[in-house]
Amino acid sequence: MNLLVKGAKVVNSQSITRADILVEKDTIVEVKPGIKIPSDKVKIISAEGKYVFPGFIDLHTHLRVPGRPDKEDLLTGAKAAAKGGFTTIMCMPNTQPAIDDYEVAAWVRNKAEEIGIVDIIPIGAITKGRQGKSLTEFGRLKEAGCLALSDDGDSVENSYILRRAFEYAKMFGLLIISHCQDKELSGQGIIRESFVTAQMGFPEWPALAESLIVSRDVEIARYLGARLHLAHVSTKRSLEIIRQAKKEGVSVTCETCPHYFSLSLQDIVNSGFNPYYKVNPPLGTEEDLKAVRKALKEGVIDCVATDHAPHTYLDKEGDFYDAEFGMIGLEFAFSLFLKMVREEELGLEIIAEKMSSAPARILSLEKRGSVQKGYYADLAIVDLEKQWQANPENIFSKSKNTPFLYKKLKGVVEYTLFRGKIVHRAQS
Amino acid sequence: MAENFVWQRKHLLGLKSLTKDEIEFILEGAKAFKEISSRRIKKVPALRGRTVVNLFFEASTRTRTSFELAAKRLSADVVNFSSSLSSLGKGESILDTLRNLETYSVDVFIIRHSHSGAALYVSQNTNASVINAGDGQNEHPTQALLDMFTVKQKFGSLSGLKVTIIGDIFHSRVARSNIWGFSKCGAEVWVCSLPTFIPKYFETMPAKITFDIEQALKDADVVMLLRIQNERLNKQFFPSLREYRQLVTLTDDRISLLKKRTLILHPGPINWDIDIASGLKPQVHPLILEQASNGLAVRMAVIYMLMEKRQYEFAG
Repeated sequence: MNLLVKGAKVVNSQSITRADILVEKDTIVEVKPGIKIPSDKVKIISAEGKYVFPGFIDLHTHLRVPGRPDKEDLLTGAKAAAKGGFTTIMCMPNTQPAIDDYEVAAWVRNKAEEIGIVDIIPIGAITKGRQGKSLTEFGRLKEAGCLALSDDGDSVENSYILRRAFEYAKMFGLLIISHCQDKELSGQGIIRESFVTAQMGFPEWPALAESLIVSRDVEIARYLGARLHLAHVSTKRSLEIIRQAKKEGVSVTCETCPHYFSLSLQDIVNSGFNPYYKVNPPLGTEEDLKAVRKALKEGVIDCVATDHAPHTYLDKEGDFYDAEFGMIGLEFAFSLFLKMVREEELGLEIIAEKMSSAPARILSLEKRGSVQKGYYADLAIVDLEKQWQANPENIFSKSKNTPFLYKKLKGVVEYTLFRGKIVHRAQS
Repeated sequence: MAENFVWQRKHLLGLKSLTKDEIEFILEGAKAFKEISSRRIKKVPALRGRTVVNLFFEASTRTRTSFELAAKRLSADVVNFSSSLSSLGKGESILDTLRNLETYSVDVFIIRHSHSGAALYVSQNTNASVINAGDGQNEHPTQALLDMFTVKQKFGSLSGLKVTIIGDIFHSRVARSNIWGFSKCGAEVWVCSLPTFIPKYFETMPAKITFDIEQALKDADVVMLLRIQNERLNKQFFPSLREYRQLVTLTDDRISLLKKRTLILHPGPINWDIDIASGLKPQVHPLILEQASNGLAVRMAVIYMLMEKRQYEFAG
């Protein structure tokens, strides 16, 4: 049956308009005010007062399978994504085994298609077993459905291997995504090197550990004329390097995560070193937070990704040292971005840009990232004013590790449509 | 100290969060307990029926013994838990251990752990009082309090003194607690070391930083030496002990720069010929042992105060 979204405000990266949206099968066939269709021919979603965004696209999630289905699996990951308004998510290959060959990638892709709640696209590893030693079979990974490659969780330390990866990837149009962390410098670090580490002697993680590798990878991409995407950028200095590289025409894009524009290391201190604030890369200073917001506004940061990193209760039960790095993000990204957009007095268009249009462009995904005729009916219908509070019971992700547990946030995704089907409906 | 001062705290996690009044209150209390230690019968019944657990996740003999004796002299029941004898490593977490011990209605946990923030973490997870006996590289408040007590004994007041701390500042919880404590009480604190032993952003601490040992020693009223913590040096910080001796070690020549009245402290254990030239042992060691003996009085005072506070709580 066809579907009509009535009375909403449609938010795209360049515009907000009042319009109805008519959907046939999996495609948007009309976007204009006052579409009239007999109600026995169409299911109507009344969206008066609501906002419709193009379904969000997340370039960076961890769905933990194969290997740790106790943390997350494709079904719970997909449900969490749909609840957060996402319709396309990319899952990182730091699984057990790593997504480093055709069989594992195809297994993920096939499973995801069976589930069908959202589009799940596996990211292949750059090197076998993510060991940084030898390249994976890029061509076969592409055949299995990968659009990007990353050793996320590690940098490819060997610059020679990384160079060859960039070159080889060109043949397949695969996007190389860099996790930037010099592990000698980050060492045992758990908190950003700062007054906190100086005063309390926590193992330090210098901002340099990120910006140094950002700088190296940008240089390699520049030298080769290759395409580079930088994951979870968190420091002011990294952003300065990226800003300069873009100015000089290097083909580089980057993402940040909601926690880097919502939280700083002061929040770790204020929480009494709650391990739910422990994340890789670590939360930065107030200055970094401001720099991230500015870079989002000015387009130095292309998109917002979640780095959704589910962990079990036990993984986060210990103190700040013992806990694993990472926080879940799929169900929080929109509310946190909305909060920032309001604090910075920006238009809602930036949300459509950073969470839908830009990631679609970065991955060259067709018919996604915009609410317009001929595009997939991937939509997030949102109530901006509705308040909610995350509890372990209402989080869809299998893991509950988030510093926003029990915090009140605004912005609820009322409906998520994926290819014209309602895949999520908020409980009233 | 302000008049009508009342001790309010349940835990002693560090000196960073204490006020000058609170620090002085502890030091005053220690004076009284020092007197008790010189009596023929050294035990008082103050904490009869109370349970104190030494929760030591890191090797320690001197600090643990000092706390144990302090609690016993207050007539508390003392249980020693050290990780080598425990079920840690058999899959039981710190938290599980804590919860198990808590079932014995513990009044005070005295914790030592290799993680900064461990004492805070334990305090967040127990109803008992918590005393930090050294958490990672963060704080070792009773060590600093006994250092301050020793200095006060000699100089009467801490205000206006130049206190110089020399050695591995980077890994030292003793240095950090002393910087907070002495600076709150009006002393001018200097740290002097190899640049690699001064963490980046250390200028946010209330201490002056110098790499010039002569400047650090000149006019110092107190010189505190810290040992190189080989067990924490899993990465390189300096090229060799040979060069360290040339640059930092307190030698005969360097000691001659000091004023006559300068007090030399070391939290122990001393690496002779690295921290201090062993030729100075006859001269320096007695001072350092005197310092250690004050630890007992300070720890009795701390345990007693935290318990008294709890008594008020129960009464209220």
